Amino acid sequence: MYLSGYYEFCCRVKMIAGHDALEKIPGALAQLHAGRPLIITDKGVSGAGLVDTVVDAIKDGIDIGAMADDVPQDSSVKVVNHLADVYRDNNCDSIVAVGGGSVMDTAKGVNIVVSENADDLMKFSGVGVLKKALKPLLVIPTTSGTGSEVTLAAVIKDHERHLKMAFASYFLLPDVAILDSRMTLTLPPFLTASTAMDAMAHAVEAYTGLAKNPMSDANAIAAISLISSNLLNVIKTPSDREGRLALANGATLAGAAFSNSLVGVVHALGHATGSVCGVPHGVCMSILLPYGLEYNMHKRAHFTGELLLPLAGAEVYVGTPKHLRAEGTVAYIRKMNQNMHDATDGRHARFFEEVKDRDGRRMVPREKLEDIAEAALDDGSIVYNPEECDYEDFLMIIRAAWEGAPLDRSLIKGV
Amino acid sequence: MDDFKEITAGNKPFKKAYVAIMLWFVGRAIQAAARVDKDVKKEFEKLPDGFTFCLGVLPRGPYMIVGKNEKGRVKYMGWKPDGKRIDLDMKIKNIEAAILMFTFQESTAAASARNRMIVDGEVPYVCAIVRVLDIGEVYLLPKFIARLAVKRYPAWSFGRKYIGRVRIYFRSILGY
Ligand SMILES: [Fe+2]
Repeated sequence: MYLSGYYEFCCRVKMIAGHDALEKIPGALAQLHAGRPLIITDKGVSGAGLVDTVVDAIKDGIDIGAMADDVPQDSSVKVVNHLADVYRDNNCDSIVAVGGGSVMDTAKGVNIVVSENADDLMKFSGVGVLKKALKPLLVIPTTSGTGSEVTLAAVIKDHERHLKMAFASYFLLPDVAILDSRMTLTLPPFLTASTAMDAMAHAVEAYTGLAKNPMSDANAIAAISLISSNLLNVIKTPSDREGRLALANGATLAGAAFSNSLVGVVHALGHATGSVCGVPHGVCMSILLPYGLEYNMHKRAHFTGELLLPLAGAEVYVGTPKHLRAEGTVAYIRKMNQNMHDATDGRHARFFEEVKDRDGRRMVPREKLEDIAEAALDDGSIVYNPEECDYEDFLMIIRAAWEGAPLDRSLIKGV
Repeated sequence: MDDFKEITAGNKPFKKAYVAIMLWFVGRAIQAAARVDKDVKKEFEKLPDGFTFCLGVLPRGPYMIVGKNEKGRVKYMGWKPDGKRIDLDMKIKNIEAAILMFTFQESTAAASARNRMIVDGEVPYVCAIVRVLDIGEVYLLPKFIARLAVKRYPAWSFGRKYIGRVRIYFRSILGY
């Protein structure tokens, strides 16, 4: 096991996980001396009936202050400030967020405004601005992917000023995260695939990145094992409750790993592809993960090779000679993508050329690859990547990932 | 006298003095590299005019400030952040961590991975300045040390590396 000379790790989120975890919410709130939450969610989540499930599970034990289901796809400052008013008008004393990454980021933003008794979120961006604990925040993820339920960051957009504001503080960590299999049962297979591969990328990049440490490694290994051994089953049998709960646990474990050890080139290029072409984050992660591992392999072969154990299991690991394990890891992830592609009738994309939007149009035109490489240079994730990444490096990776050809590792600078 | 207090006060005057000298040199070298090196020039061109960057050690210095003036020229702006508007603030958490970095026992990347720094500012600025600092290190340090400080030692032409190095040393010392 690798021991980094010095590290910091913090994940003080209480976990409540199970097939009947929702019913424990009133008790968890009472422990935090709260009992009148504002429920924050979005139209998609409430339309799928998930909020009803939550309300049914808690309404006898608790007095719901208000419910807001108007969080947009992208978090925004305006919505945060508006929801803070809703919180105050209804005398709420805590927040329950039900949804994916943008709902949770919004809830974190609202929590800043109401706890600091402010009128505008924008006064609180930057490091070290928050000085005291915020109101109780419970989060219930409805995708198994982002890991936002255990991260200390929130990204909120200021649409008027075209800014993406980042907030980071240990005070933004939710108090309680609730994983309940009922919350992800209806997630369609192709979304289950891409969101789970986002979580996979969190765990893999945390494990192979510069900031790895024993605590995040343990979380990452457990995450990879749970996701790898359950993902294809769940895609083929969406009603598999055990499998759903396993994926939810895997995503949270991966979140704890990357929240502390951060991510690398896969996320740098993924964020850039998302902002230039609008490709969903999980789709970018599925496609780019094997390429990121190939790109870093000359520096991280040992750690990459170790991942074959949680990915493929003991038999495959022992049966693969040591010097072939890193490549085995990459091949295994490619095979996962292929299997998910087959199991979703081709909806799970394997390379960028085949990524289509809802109307069947190609989302990543080849002429955009230069823009993507340029945008990746501004992404903070590269700081923690083991190998340097300049414009040419990014371009080489994104071109290969567009075509679907493995990276020609002999072309990597410094190899 | 105030100017010198930061360096001599406290209980680790020699370490602070060493880091102060290194910071002074790095600051002047960035100013020089912005004139001499095409990549550093390009990084600064992308930053807004009036941009300022502070690198220093908590709790009380030393610091160095580099910025771009209204005319777009990159300048070393001294060791006192007081009263200056800082766009990107990078603070090493304590003098021991600064010593590790400036004696090149720990690379910039490892230092950030180990949470040695508190960074306040927009992420694209951070990325640009980290690249500038890396290029600066390649110019200032002999290869066997710089290799420890940066992730990938670049394959530069003879002219860029050696002639550039001489020009940057001269300019740093003379301050133009
Ligand atoms: Fe991600």
